[in-house]
Amino acid sequence: MRYLKVVVFSFCLIFSQNVDQKPISPCKDPLITLAEEEGIKAIPLRDIRRFKKLLEDCERQGEKKRMERLVYNDWQRDYEKAKKMQSWSSTHAMCVFVSFAYFFAGQALATDPGK
Amino acid sequence: MKSQIQVFILLIFLFSHGFLIAQPKLSVDFGVGFYEPTLTGFDQNENVQFPTKTVFNRNVMINWGIYYEFFNNARIGYNSFTSFEIGKNVLLINSEAAFTRSIKYRMFPIETYFRWKPKIELNFTLAPIWGRGRIELDTTPGDKEEDWDYVITSFGGDATQITDMGATDAMLNDWLGYSSILGLRYYLSSRMAIDIKGGFMNNFYNEENWRVQRQKVNGPIMKIDDLPIFSLKFVYGLR
Repeated sequence: MRYLKVVVFSFCLIFSQNVDQKPISPCKDPLITLAEEEGIKAIPLRDIRRFKKLLEDCERQGEKKRMERLVYNDWQRDYEKAKKMQSWSSTHAMCVFVSFAYFFAGQALATDPGK
Repeated sequence: MKSQIQVFILLIFLFSHGFLIAQPKLSVDFGVGFYEPTLTGFDQNENVQFPTKTVFNRNVMINWGIYYEFFNNARIGYNSFTSFEIGKNVLLINSEAAFTRSIKYRMFPIETYFRWKPKIELNFTLAPIWGRGRIELDTTPGDKEEDWDYVITSFGGDATQITDMGATDAMLNDWLGYSSILGLRYYLSSRMAIDIKGGFMNNFYNEENWRVQRQKVNGPIMKIDDLPIFSLKFVYGLR
């Protein structure tokens, strides 16, 4: 019985992968498409290393400009999204700045009433 | 209570795994904080010789935090600054005690931000503070040895087997406060950044509110209100 279990386990381990799947080009990998459409941060953390390898492989296949654009677009996407404050966030920022300025102006200018 | 909070934060982190795959807006950060409190109760104590003050046990704090972007240009989170001091052979009446002191400033910040340049962000933080001071002494109480001798002899042991016992007790104090901080963040990549912050915090600390084993006692005089505070952090975006 024990040997049977070992054989079944080994069989499952060896033949569990789909070996018939054809290798696809790194530039057509779904991760690259996802990064292009939704940004690099959309890639799950567990796939980050694979994504970096795909970027390098894709560059080696002559798609260097496309990969550079992918990275550039990611920066621009974040920048465009966050370059202007929205709704109440600017009021909050102003409150912080005023309290900050008031505190440090007090530290610099206030005198001790005892002196 | 403190351990429950830490477990709660850890659980949030662990259960957020489902969100990690679904592009959450989470980030964690680690770094150091700098400030300059006046701990008169320790530094000018004439009866007990506490460890000598240094930059590391007075001015440097360990800082970590976790943030979630809940709105456009706004984050909410938890941020902790901890100042530690450890010493041994602190001479008391009956023992040379091991001494540990920690002051923890637990902040619950609301941070708004905007990108000034593609790689540079300015952020503005307002945070209520739940501060906690903890002083721990490892002393050698006399009567404890007799009680343990009694138990050990009941098991058939010898009363002379124990020559020294220790007991650790802690005194605690909680207080509230608030903080206002401006920050500048430089993005190294879309996920990683260096964050420099500066601001102030105000703590409503009262030295008469300390407690040991649920008994109210007086604690050290510390001036921790109206304090400028700075931090340098490494930020990693999980989203």
